[in-house]
Amino acid sequence: MLGPDVAGYLIIAAFLFATGALGVLIRRSPLIVLLSLEIMLNGANLALIAFSRHFGRGDGQIFALAVMAVAASEVVVGLGLIVAMARRRLDLDVDKLSTLRG
Amino acid sequence: MTAAAWVCLFLPLGSAGLITVLGTTITRRTAAWIATLACAGSFAAAVVSFVAMWGRARENRADLSTAWTWLEAGNFRVGLSILTDPLSVFMMLVVAGVGSLIVAYSIGYMDGDDEERRYFAYMSLFVFSMLMLVQGGNLLLLLVGWGLVGLSSYLLIGFWHDRPSAVAAAKKAFVMNAFGDATMALAFFVLIQKTGTLDYGLAFQKAHGLSSLTLNLIALGLLGGAVAKSAQLPLQTWLPDAMEGPTPVSALIHAATMVTAGVYLIVRTHALFELAPRIEDLAAGLGAATLLLAGLVALVQTDIKRVIAYSTMSQIGYMFLGAGLGAYANAMFHLMTHAFFKALLFMGAGIVIHALAGEQDIRKMGGLRRLMPNTWWAMLVGGLALSGIPPLSGFFSKDSILAGALDRGWYGDVLFAVGMAGAFLTGLYTFRMLFVVFGGEQSAYVQEHPPHAHGDRVAQWSMYLTVGALTVLAAAGGWLQFADLWTPVTDWLEPVARPLVEATGTQETIASAAAVALGVAGIAVAWWIYGARRATAPRPSRVLEHKFYFDELYNGLFYWPAVGLSRLLSWVVEGPLVGGSIAAVSELARWTGGRVRELQTGLVRAYALALAAGVAVLVLVFVAVR
Repeated sequence: MLGPDVAGYLIIAAFLFATGALGVLIRRSPLIVLLSLEIMLNGANLALIAFSRHFGRGDGQIFALAVMAVAASEVVVGLGLIVAMARRRLDLDVDKLSTLRG
Repeated sequence: MTAAAWVCLFLPLGSAGLITVLGTTITRRTAAWIATLACAGSFAAAVVSFVAMWGRARENRADLSTAWTWLEAGNFRVGLSILTDPLSVFMMLVVAGVGSLIVAYSIGYMDGDDEERRYFAYMSLFVFSMLMLVQGGNLLLLLVGWGLVGLSSYLLIGFWHDRPSAVAAAKKAFVMNAFGDATMALAFFVLIQKTGTLDYGLAFQKAHGLSSLTLNLIALGLLGGAVAKSAQLPLQTWLPDAMEGPTPVSALIHAATMVTAGVYLIVRTHALFELAPRIEDLAAGLGAATLLLAGLVALVQTDIKRVIAYSTMSQIGYMFLGAGLGAYANAMFHLMTHAFFKALLFMGAGIVIHALAGEQDIRKMGGLRRLMPNTWWAMLVGGLALSGIPPLSGFFSKDSILAGALDRGWYGDVLFAVGMAGAFLTGLYTFRMLFVVFGGEQSAYVQEHPPHAHGDRVAQWSMYLTVGALTVLAAAGGWLQFADLWTPVTDWLEPVARPLVEATGTQETIASAAAVALGVAGIAVAWWIYGARRATAPRPSRVLEHKFYFDELYNGLFYWPAVGLSRLLSWVVEGPLVGGSIAAVSELARWTGGRVRELQTGLVRAYALALAAGVAVLVLVFVAVR
């Protein structure tokens, strides 16, 4: 087993996840929110791979691959939405997109 | 014998089903022929069973045939079975015979009605139900038939469903009959609990060991059913209203067959009634009261069909009197002759009503004798038979019932006197109707609406031929039995119902002479007032016009209290409690929804924060719990 201990990877993963979550919560531009979401997903991926390696089993890595695929599709949808909003000259501000208010 | 009885039972049901299934693919006339042929076939099958039974030894004539076990609950078991014995064959002949004549008459009477097919399907259903009633091999099947005749009677009274009065009359008949059905069902429950069976033979046998209270309750329940179905006091008010139905329906259901089911019930279950002699006396008393009251009310009726309807009640009163006294064969004999002459009178009245474009008020009629001579003769025969004038059928049957009353102590003497008064009234009201309708000068209405034939030739002939056949039966039907010289009916029914009373020759002679004299006196008075118009008719008394206030009494006793209670409940319970609670529930849901709605802010970041907070809490919980 080479490289640092699993704890180091987990600390970085937690840091990435927290960064992303903070971005989702405080930024108002949908583009940045999407970006922060990706960072959160990557944090989770890192944790998955770290554990996979720690336990010497491959399923964590496969899971990480699946997450990447889902993330890619999600970005396609998200970016498509943002482009559509830009075309209609809507404000790119998630707080103003509150038509679904009950 | 049994196979023919099954055929007899199910042919009319097949006809009803066939007409229903074929629907509009057949013409109305075809539907009429299907029903007529089915009833005629049923009658033929009844004749076959009769002949087969005739060939058997006397004690070997009852046959119980079970198709399968119909109901089973523990030890209690009821089979779908029919009983073919002298009494049921007698009734089968009357029901299917008169039934097929009346259904054939309907070909003409209902010709041109929009819903003729439905009518004939109902008529077939009725004939099936009535046969079920008389052929059922145990009390439960009798109750099934009992309910089914009530249903078909309801359907046929309300046949012209666009007339509110017909619908109301149908409901009234149904409700009053339901009362009788309920008391009968209660009697059966008691019987099941105490004897564990509803088979005729077994139940009658086991009934001997029961306490007199139980027996009285059972007999009273049965009597309640009989009284409701046969329109006797105090449940008689539905029958006159039932005249809203088509006239052949009145002839078949409300004169010849269904309303006499009560008499059949008493004779069939006479073993139970004999164990409760008080109730049997009550049956005879109710019959006597009804025959008198109905005869009085018939004097002032102005609707031709209602006159005959009250006369029917009165004649069934005679049958109840006979059955209650134990003169079973005489009651059944009167049932048969009554079926003939009363169906004849109704069908004659139907011809008159049709000829005068639907008019039923006898005050508008008059002088029809020259215009409709054949109908006049037919109805004259019916009227004379009804009044008990020899040698027509009513003479033989009614007088033997009254003679039986003389053989029963002081109670019988009272009933005899009432029956005699009834004989006078019968002559009076019957011939009042006949003289007003047929005698005298032609009324203004008749001159304005000259009688015209109804329908095509087939339709006319179907009416004339059946009325002709019934005229012959009403004239000659009584010759089947003549007091104690010649008693085939009594002998035939003896294995089923042995009479309790036996009038001597002297009593027969007294009864006949008195009854004929009073009947003739009634006719003479009617002729004096309404035929020759030597005296002005007395003003009808208010009590009679209100039919002894029975309708008013029942309205006051049951209808208005029920309405009042409903209004009170609607005011106290329905509004505040039921309505209020529903309003409160809906208000609560709206309020909750309004609060929950506020959570839905539409702000994505708020949702994300809630998610993050939730996860944080979960993580904290996990950490703390470990």
